[in-house]
Parts: sequence; C-alpha cells; structure tokens
Amino acid sequence: MFEESKVAFFLAQRSIARGNKGTLYLTILILGMVFVNLIFLPSIITGVAVLFNQQSIDYSYGNLVIEPSKNQIYINNVSELQKKIEHIPGVTGVSPRYSTGATLTHKGNVVTATLDAINPDDEKTVLKTPSKVISGNFLSLGDTDQVVLGYQLAGNQDETLDVIPSLGGVSVGQTVDITFSNGVTRPYRIKGIINSGSYSADGSAFITKNEYESVIGITDKANEVLVRTQVTGNENIMRNTLISFGVQEKIWTWEEKSANFLNQIIGSFNIINLIGTIVSLVIAIVVIFIVIFINTVYRRKQIGILKAIGIDRSIIIKSYIFQALFIFAIGTFVGSIFLLLILQLLAVSPIVFPGGPVAPVVDPMLIIRSVVSLLVVSIIAGYVPAWITTKEDILSAIRG
Amino acid sequence: MIIGRDLKRIYGKGPVQVLALNGVSLEIKKGEFVGIMGASGSGKSTLLHMLGLLDRPTSGSVSIDGIDVGTLNERERTLFRLRRLGYVFQDYALVPELTARENVYLPSMVRGMTPNECSLVCSEILDLVGLKDRSHHLPGEMSGGEQQRVAIARALVNKPTILLADEPCANLDSQNSRVVLDLFKKLNGDLRQTIIMVSHEEWHKTYFDRIIYMKDGLIEQE
Repeated sequence: MFEESKVAFFLAQRSIARGNKGTLYLTILILGMVFVNLIFLPSIITGVAVLFNQQSIDYSYGNLVIEPSKNQIYINNVSELQKKIEHIPGVTGVSPRYSTGATLTHKGNVVTATLDAINPDDEKTVLKTPSKVISGNFLSLGDTDQVVLGYQLAGNQDETLDVIPSLGGVSVGQTVDITFSNGVTRPYRIKGIINSGSYSADGSAFITKNEYESVIGITDKANEVLVRTQVTGNENIMRNTLISFGVQEKIWTWEEKSANFLNQIIGSFNIINLIGTIVSLVIAIVVIFIVIFINTVYRRKQIGILKAIGIDRSIIIKSYIFQALFIFAIGTFVGSIFLLLILQLLAVSPIVFPGGPVAPVVDPMLIIRSVVSLLVVSIIAGYVPAWITTKEDILSAIRG
Repeated sequence: MIIGRDLKRIYGKGPVQVLALNGVSLEIKKGEFVGIMGASGSGKSTLLHMLGLLDRPTSGSVSIDGIDVGTLNERERTLFRLRRLGYVFQDYALVPELTARENVYLPSMVRGMTPNECSLVCSEILDLVGLKDRSHHLPGEMSGGEQQRVAIARALVNKPTILLADEPCANLDSQNSRVVLDLFKKLNGDLRQTIIMVSHEEWHKTYFDRIIYMKDGLIEQE
C-alpha cells in the first residue's frame, strides 16, 4: 500500500513539475478564487451580525433589560431598584427609562416614532447614544422643553433621501410638537441631533425622564431598566446574579431582545451564502474534474501501457488524486493570500452598510469547513475521472 | 516454458463475430527467440496478447512456467505481468514527464525496490542498451530509436521470464530497427532471454531462432 502510494506520488510529482504549466496555474488560480469566495461572503455576514449585535448593546439594550413583571405597566420604586443593581458586582451602569410611542409634528410632517425618556447621566453609563451628537448638544438632567432627535427621524428636506418617514429636515433650534400617549401635546425645541449608525436610535426621539413623568403624571417609575455589565458574553450569569440579589422583574438579555430581528437578517444572508457556497464548490469540482479528465483521456494510451507493464490501476488513480490534492493545497494557499490582502484592504477601507462600517469576521470554523469541503471536492474530482479512464481494458486503451 | 493449448479468441457478438484465433496450440522453450509473422489480421498480435496476459482467450489455456494464467484474477495478472513479463510496444509508450532513467526504474519502484537498488539496476540496463549517457533526457529529447531502447530497458528492468515485443520496429527506420534487433539478439544470446516478437518485415527473419507463421487465426507453418 505504502509502496503504491510512493510510486503514485512519484508519478504525480513528475507530472506536475514537467507537465503543462499554463493549465496548472489557471486551475490553481480558479481554486484560489473559489476558496476566497467560500470564506469572504460568510465573513461579511458574520461581520454584519457582529455589527448589529454591538449596535444592539451600544444603542438599544445594554447587556440586560429589566421589564415590568407580568400584568404590570411600570416598574415601581425604580430608583430603589437602580441603587440595588448599581451595587451588584460586574454592573457598570443602570438606566431606568420609558420607551414609548409618540407622535411628532413639524410643519405638516406627522411622524409616529419611538420616544425614549431618559436620565441623561444614567443613559451615558449604559448606551453610547449620548456621545453620537452630530449637531447641537445632548440632553442635560434639568432639560424640560427640549428634545434630541435621531438624524433619520429629523430627516432631509429632500424627502427622497429619507430612509424612514421623517420630520422633513428639521435642525437644531427648531420646534417640534410631541403628542404623548395620554393625548397631551407640547412643543419642544430641538437641542441636538444624533447619528449613531443604529436604525433604532437614529429613528427615535429623546426627552428627559423628568419631563416625561411630568407630562404623564407619574413619578419614580420606568417601563424598562437597561443594565450594562463589565463583560459582554456572560449575560446569563449576570441575570442569575441579579435574581439572587432580589430583582423580581422580568430580565432579558440583549440577545433575547434582538433575536428575531437579527435571526431574520442572518437567515436571509445564509440562504444567499448557501447558494454561493454550492455554486463555488460546483465550479471547483467541475474545473478539477475537467482538467484531470482531459489529462487522463489524452493519456489513455499511456495509461493502457502502464497497466500492461504491471502498474496497478490503483497506482494510476492515486497519482491523479495526488495531482488534485496538490492543486487543492496550492489553490488554498493562493486563496489565503488573496483573502489576507482583501482583509487588509477592508481594514483600511471597510464596506459601509446602512448600519455602519462592516469589517469581515473570519471564523476559524468557517476556514476549517471551507478547507475540508474543498479537500473532499478535490479528491472526488481527481478520483472519478481517473477511475473512469483506467476502467477501460488494456487493449482498448492501447489501441486508442 | 510457455504452453498454449487450443487458444481461441472471438471478438464481438452475434452476426458480427470475428474469429481472431481459431484454436492455436504452441510451446515456447526458455531462451528461445521466436518470431510471429503473418499478414495483417492473421492473429499474430492477438496471440501475443494471450501469451502476455493482456487479453483472455475465449477458450483454451495458457500456462507459463507451470502456472495456468487463466486462473489468475485481474490483480494477480497485473502482478504476474510486473514480475515475469516485459513488454515492448511499437510506439515506445514512455511517460513523457519522466526521464529515460525514471521510465526505466518505474516498474522496479512498483516492485518495492529501494532507490539505490533501482539506480544500480537502471544504470546497468541503460548501459546494456547503450543509453547510459542519455539517462537524464526526457523522451521528447530523444530519437525514436533511443526511445525504443529505453522502452526495452524498461521491459528488462525486472528481469522478466519472457520479453514480448509487438512490432517494436514498426515506427523505426531500418538503421534504428537493426540496432533494436541486434540488442534483442544480444539479450537472447548473452542472458538467454526468452523473446517473442511480432513482425511482418521479411528481413527480421534472420534474427529469430524459430518463426511461427499465422494465417486466418491459425498457425500455418513453423
């Protein structure tokens, strides 16, 4: 068996070293491109997932979201709860807030949007939204008649540029009317406009918690409390810690809150990716198959002679498998270099998605999966044509 | 000793059957240089293929050194060819990516010889066929006569019981043909190498110890 492999390797090595270089280089290049294709798109998808995950944490939920218990609208005595949570080890920020719907009106533009009523100082400890002001300033604790708008909600004067229904291009200093859920309408001066790159934050309006409570007529309540933890990734452990410290309200992790949205996006991308992967592998198998098949058919007579002089069929088949493996190995190596260059390029100039710049994230499992699938494809594409050609009886092969 | 008994070979089925061999019996002793001659379609190559285990007779048997080769399976026949038979074909059939030396030692490698053993045997044989200085050349860099001598060296490398040659001079000019035939004669004389050669050239007769004339799938005359 080992002797056979040695001879097969010898034949393959000489064939590669002294055979047609043009075809060899072209095949290797195609394999390299297939490898890039197998890695690149999924790594972009993973990059998008990472971006959206980070945005969920930074601009929507923090790490944990505490919501009222069943059949409750608000969390009562929220300042007490806040203090309790702030003292739990591993918690770096707590922001009680009201997240509700409101209708904003400006010069005939009427938009229903999310209204977040926050304590600006608390919000800064959990979310990055307050640091993303592109015009004016963010809210201060004592602000009563001021609002901060996401830039997509503020919109553009040319409404064709709007991504969501907007206020028609309002700017800092202008006034918008906000109608609350209890029917009260009040004018608010636009204090600042934020651009976070997150759809959710950029489509929302922000007022202070005190102002909201004065409008609605409630105090020391919240309908959600966002919690930032020291470490991302151990949310389940932190949830149990909060429960052990006596938090009785419903606690969600950011993943649970954003799961449906993200899963839909990733699910759609994965279908595209699956199609791309199948097409790539088919291209790889067809290219190697054709190259080896033409090679074996061209050498049909020679294969017949080799069999006649006592070279076993399995040695000849193995020699073609070795050639296919060589193409696979060098193709994968070349593809890795291409990939590395592309990743370097994208690190300098990332692809900007609507949610922000996306850096491809190459998962080691993805690399292993791609290498293994290309390896299997190469072995099949080397084996089958060699098997077909060597199956022919010796005399038919020799006679051509 | 090679013994063929009542060898028949029919190609095709039904009304388009071709009777290539029609009951041939023969014996070839060790050390004989036997020529098989006859017109095209007389069955001489078919007979060589039967004796060389490249084809199976429709009926009849072939025995080589007491082994009924008809009982061997495909893998055993391949090994038998490797260890006991050497072949020379009319169009050399060398592997184009291998040098003369590599082409010659390929069958030795398959037999499991070490690189040193291969190298030693290879040098001896290439010297024997007069190509020691051309051993590192690729087939494409050699003349037809030289390529055929490499093919002969390859056929001899495993010290076969029988050397089978199917019109080895068909693609060579008379000068190169003479070189090849002289070499066969030398091998036959010096090493007592059994050689069975198919030819249709009348002037080749002088080299053979015995000639088997074939006609219509039968031995016409010996």
